[in-house]
Amino acid sequence: MKQFSSFVIKEAKHIVRDRRTMLILFVMPVVLMLIFGFAISNDVRNVRAVVVTSQMDHVTQQVIDRLSHSEYFVITATVGTSKEAEQLIRRQKADMAVVFSKDFAAKRKGIQLIVDASDPNMAQQWNTYAMQTILNPQSSLIETKMLYNPRMKSAYNFVPAIMGMLLMLICAMMTSVSIVREKEKGTMEVLLVSPVRPIMMIVAKAVPYLVLAFAILVSILLMARFVLGVPLAGSILWIFVVSAIYILLALSLGLLISNIASSQLMALLLSAMVLLMPIVMLSGMLFPIESMPMVLQWISAVIPPRYYIEAMRKLMIMGVGIGEVMREVAILSGMTIFLLIVSLAKFKTRLE
Amino acid sequence: MNAIEVHHISKSYGKVKALEDVSFSVGKGEVFGLIGPDGAGKTSMYRILCTLLLPNMGSATVDGYDVKRQTREIRRRVGYMPGRFSLYQDLTVEENLYFFATLFGTTVEEGYNSIKAVYSQIERFKNRRAGALSGGMKQKLALCCALIHSPSVLFLDEPTTGVDPVSRKEFWDMLAMLKERGITILASTPYLDEVRRCERVAFLHQGHLQGIDTPDAILERFSDVFNPPAIEHSKAVTVGEENVIEVQHLVKSFGSFRAVDDISFSVRRGEIFGFLGANGAGKTTAMHILTGLSQPTQGTGTVVGYDICTEHEQIKKNIGYMSQKFSLYEDLTVAENIRLFAGIYGMNDQTIARKTDELLSRLNFAEHKNDLVSSLPLGWKQKLAFSVSIFHEPGVVFLDEPTGGVDPATRRQFWELIYDAAARGITVFVTTHYMDEAEYCDRISIMVDGKIRALGTPDELKQNYHQPDINHVFTYLARQASRSSD
Repeated sequence: MKQFSSFVIKEAKHIVRDRRTMLILFVMPVVLMLIFGFAISNDVRNVRAVVVTSQMDHVTQQVIDRLSHSEYFVITATVGTSKEAEQLIRRQKADMAVVFSKDFAAKRKGIQLIVDASDPNMAQQWNTYAMQTILNPQSSLIETKMLYNPRMKSAYNFVPAIMGMLLMLICAMMTSVSIVREKEKGTMEVLLVSPVRPIMMIVAKAVPYLVLAFAILVSILLMARFVLGVPLAGSILWIFVVSAIYILLALSLGLLISNIASSQLMALLLSAMVLLMPIVMLSGMLFPIESMPMVLQWISAVIPPRYYIEAMRKLMIMGVGIGEVMREVAILSGMTIFLLIVSLAKFKTRLE
Repeated sequence: MNAIEVHHISKSYGKVKALEDVSFSVGKGEVFGLIGPDGAGKTSMYRILCTLLLPNMGSATVDGYDVKRQTREIRRRVGYMPGRFSLYQDLTVEENLYFFATLFGTTVEEGYNSIKAVYSQIERFKNRRAGALSGGMKQKLALCCALIHSPSVLFLDEPTTGVDPVSRKEFWDMLAMLKERGITILASTPYLDEVRRCERVAFLHQGHLQGIDTPDAILERFSDVFNPPAIEHSKAVTVGEENVIEVQHLVKSFGSFRAVDDISFSVRRGEIFGFLGANGAGKTTAMHILTGLSQPTQGTGTVVGYDICTEHEQIKKNIGYMSQKFSLYEDLTVAENIRLFAGIYGMNDQTIARKTDELLSRLNFAEHKNDLVSSLPLGWKQKLAFSVSIFHEPGVVFLDEPTGGVDPATRRQFWELIYDAAARGITVFVTTHYMDEAEYCDRISIMVDGKIRALGTPDELKQNYHQPDINHVFTYLARQASRSSD
């Protein structure tokens, strides 16, 4: 026990004394949260719209008012023909045009939307928003109710994704680098020649990073709640339990990387390339898994953050009970046990 | 029962045979030397005995336990100091010691008696980070860490490489004390004075055991390797009148600490100038100023006619530099390395091609032109690195401990190259921890505590201080140092 605690203390000192790395570890989540929360957003806001109408009557004016009073659209110009509007879009002066037909007032129908679809996702959204705004409230044939995220804020989506990405990166990268560093510096030789059991050494190495990961988790949750205004609908306890399983998984992945890598640089590259790219691309963080080709869907099925992010979305945003995420938790636990066994079995107690 | 028994051990890495059919035994409480040039298989042997490596063939026991099967028993009983520093640089002296104590299931209080003699010398630095200690101090701390659990067998893999003579002597005095307590010691060293302090030595060469005997007998039998005839150097003929290096009252301080404290000296063209000093005396700092890597706090000086304070770029163009740490790119071939460094100094392709062939034939390297540098033995790398550093015919070449870790015969060959360069008018400014090399220099200076305490030809210094050789002069002066660490 004494051995264990002194090992943990030693490891903690390494972390604390490496000020710059510490700083990066804590600043990175904050910066990412702010970037994703404020700067990068899929939210529709201040879309520049051009109105095309030949005669401005009362009915047309009403529709235009609805558009300009909404927070989504800004009317930048009113022109006579759709040609002029298209030109404005082409010259990047407007994002979309609302074209009223000549007899709109009489027939109460005949609106064309011309949208700059160079970003198809955004174009789709503008289109939907414009239709909703124009139709409401007189002819409300369809009324949509957005559950869990009534204002469609993208932070709701990104917070669980950032948690999934950061926890994986920090745990896997930091443990693998710290083990490989001992190999590089030659201290590993001395540790191996000591009577300490390798399993104890590994667990002791993981403990400080476990604590660090939880500190980061707490800071992300606090920022999500109080800075970005994302509600934590579900039980905090379960959020932490599921996160703990996920952190363990990331730690054992780091251990596995440290078995393969022979230098710190290689450990870094392995964790960054092998972990980061698939997490960002295939975990459903940015692109919906359902719309990927089958092959990529299969690959994404073995990417752990996918299940963690899914579980977190359900727990945090939807506020469901633990029973509803049992499938994800079971898969994550299975993966953790598998990786832990493999990496422990692969851990070398001798040199090559 | 012998403390160590080795029977017909062989170990190979792929095609490379590190050890072939090596057998020896070491008695309890014996100080046994394992010597041989770089790449002889010493480290592999240590690792096998420490249970870090499995031998391909043969068997060995340590303290009566088999290295293949009774791993845990052995790991409880041995102390091991690998060649590279085995300390945590970002932990303090005390933290390192406590960590290693608990690692071996003991406490510093319990083990204090076994390390007292060593630890008392560094105890006043106990709150300093290990990374901030000088070479000698680090070695002492590493020894404390390896001794804290009172091992019955101690493995020391070149523990004193890069350590100054005074610290080395103290280190071996400590080993002698450990022997008194019945600890068996297996150590390797490139220094002959240390070889002589072993009771018996085994000489390994390219994985083969060449002989086991008393140090004197081994040194005698393999005198062509260990004690090559001294080289003749026709002095005065080549040394010119003009000064290539000239510095006055040079000071470099870091905060209140004066690393270089008011030094003045000059070096003439074609001279071989030995720049000696204990670890932490300020040699490296002075060298950095002379090569234009750092600015002096006070003082003036010129190198190859350029001001060291203002004309860094010109200085860098006209000097050569070779250090122990960086010499060549390991993943480039011999020819590519030459091409690269010549290109850096702006030589044209024709000259490079012509001089490359000249150089390689002079070194008998022609057939290795397209070999990767990483595949060459250390001694060859050093010779090549030196040749590359003077390839552009600089006015002066700075050598920072150029011959670490090779045997005396290889070092002698290296010095032939140095004499060769000096004869061509290239001034050589060299630091070394080998005192026999100091005797090869035209003039030497000995730095203590940032000041130059002695300056002159080796013979003058020996006379002035009434000592038989430079080693004694150095020890005599370095003992007077008041500051003991950088």
